[in-house]
Amino acid sequence: MDNANLSRMWRVFKTTKEMCADRGYSVPEHELNITFDEFKQEYGRDDGDVDRTKMNYSCQPSESMLLKYSDPPTEKNPNPEPQIGTIWVEFNGDDNAGLKHLRDYMHFLNQGNFYSGIMITPKQMTGMALRFLRTSTTIDEGPKGGVEVFVEQDLLVNITKHELVPKHVLLSAEEKKQLLSRYRLRETQLPRIQQSDPVAKYLGLRRGQVVKIIRKSETAGRYASYRWCI
Amino acid sequence: MSPTSILKKPSAPNLPSTDKAVNPRHLEVALHHANIIENQKNVEKEILKAILDLMDFPTDPKADPARPSPADAAAFCNPLNLFQPSDYDSLIEERNLAEHCGYALCPRPRKKARNNARRHLITTENGVQVVEKKALEVWCSDDCARRAMYVKVQLNEEPAWLRRGGVGQKIELMAENQGEHQIALPLRLKGTNAPATEQMSEEDAAWAMRDEALAELAQERGEKPGQLSKANDVLIAAEIKENTDSKTPIAPSAEGMGHSHFAIEGHVPKADLKKEHDSSEEEYEAEDGDEDQEGEDADDDWDIAEMVEDELDAVLQDT
Ligand SMILES: [Zn+2]
Repeated sequence: MDNANLSRMWRVFKTTKEMCADRGYSVPEHELNITFDEFKQEYGRDDGDVDRTKMNYSCQPSESMLLKYSDPPTEKNPNPEPQIGTIWVEFNGDDNAGLKHLRDYMHFLNQGNFYSGIMITPKQMTGMALRFLRTSTTIDEGPKGGVEVFVEQDLLVNITKHELVPKHVLLSAEEKKQLLSRYRLRETQLPRIQQSDPVAKYLGLRRGQVVKIIRKSETAGRYASYRWCI
Repeated sequence: MSPTSILKKPSAPNLPSTDKAVNPRHLEVALHHANIIENQKNVEKEILKAILDLMDFPTDPKADPARPSPADAAAFCNPLNLFQPSDYDSLIEERNLAEHCGYALCPRPRKKARNNARRHLITTENGVQVVEKKALEVWCSDDCARRAMYVKVQLNEEPAWLRRGGVGQKIELMAENQGEHQIALPLRLKGTNAPATEQMSEEDAAWAMRDEALAELAQERGEKPGQLSKANDVLIAAEIKENTDSKTPIAPSAEGMGHSHFAIEGHVPKADLKKEHDSSEEEYEAEDGDEDQEGEDADDDWDIAEMVEDELDAVLQDT
């Protein structure tokens, strides 16, 4: 049974690595392809269960990600600061995580100068903790880039690898500007994608960002559509 | 790609067309709903803030839940006006997750079950009881459980953003030093003339409070301060008429009610009545010897009466 939990956490761990890579963080190839035996070696406990505290890790954004998250340079601001930075991924072992855990986590991120964080919990957090997450930007706590939470269950499989899920690609601010001017559109005219949509969550989309969705079609080959994140 | 066709829908048929002026009534309704949503957001944020504050309360580790300091009592009670019982449960849950006793004025840690069994046997006044581990670990003591529940029953079930009668009265605590809290928290008016209260006589203060309450009520109705609306006028102009010649109430009797047992919400269906008439005529005719038919009709009538009664029963049970 403990081995089952270990293999479960191995799958969750791999999904988080893939997720970070897909968002544009630099993740070494061998970490993406970690085998079960390697995982067991590194994160298994003597009693056969998993040691979640060892699983935590941080990721640096790649060059292309930094570029994607920077506003186009202007005369006034020739070197705009990227709206992204180091992310901290934490596996919280508490069955019941609440406001207290979330707040402690935010303080930890602030002290470690992390730009954003992802917390993975065995079960859904309390309702108040989720409310705190939604309003933390207005309450002015936590890191600049915000905190995301996932339940382990949601990361057992990588949804974006499912054949029916089309490829989602985030547009940079510059690309978004070009798209809108090419079609003479306002962003509000684009179809929308909820921030809570599973793929939007996977990519960590922020309000106002635009994703390009590339579908395969038997008649038209490949075609793209765009969605505005709300 | 043609997103425009999806998004730029022609205006819905029940909306006024663009060349007519916008119906002020619709605008008002839309505004009203927008206000409620805005209000809800603010209330939810306030509740969250209060729970964040009360999560690690009280600040003094030696505080006594039976005799809270006036400042602590106020810090606990004031935000509770906005709470629904479910919000209060959230507060208890969050305190427990932080390992504190569920009662927000208690600095002690919550009780820990002796072992990890899901159910425990507890000896109480009513004998031995089976208690869920979770329920056992909410409070530090039965006293705190009682104090916390005393507060919970005073909370308003209705969300604060929908309450018409204001946020409600002050929450009372189960404490040994009740008196201190009242002295420490003098009744203050929120209005601009608040500093003047000290010189006011008791009666003046009462009038001022009434004015303030009226102003608050008006604001709740969406009226501008100092401007009485029609609705307000009617309320004030209403005459109070005392019912002087009241008699001793008499219990309703079953006599003289006739067909009332057929009545459905006060209305006696005519079709059935007619049928009954027919059957009584037949009864009369039955003397001629057609007894079979009479029996059948009487049966029918009985069925209808029974059906109506069943229906009435069902209605009564529903309510
Ligand atoms: Zn206690």
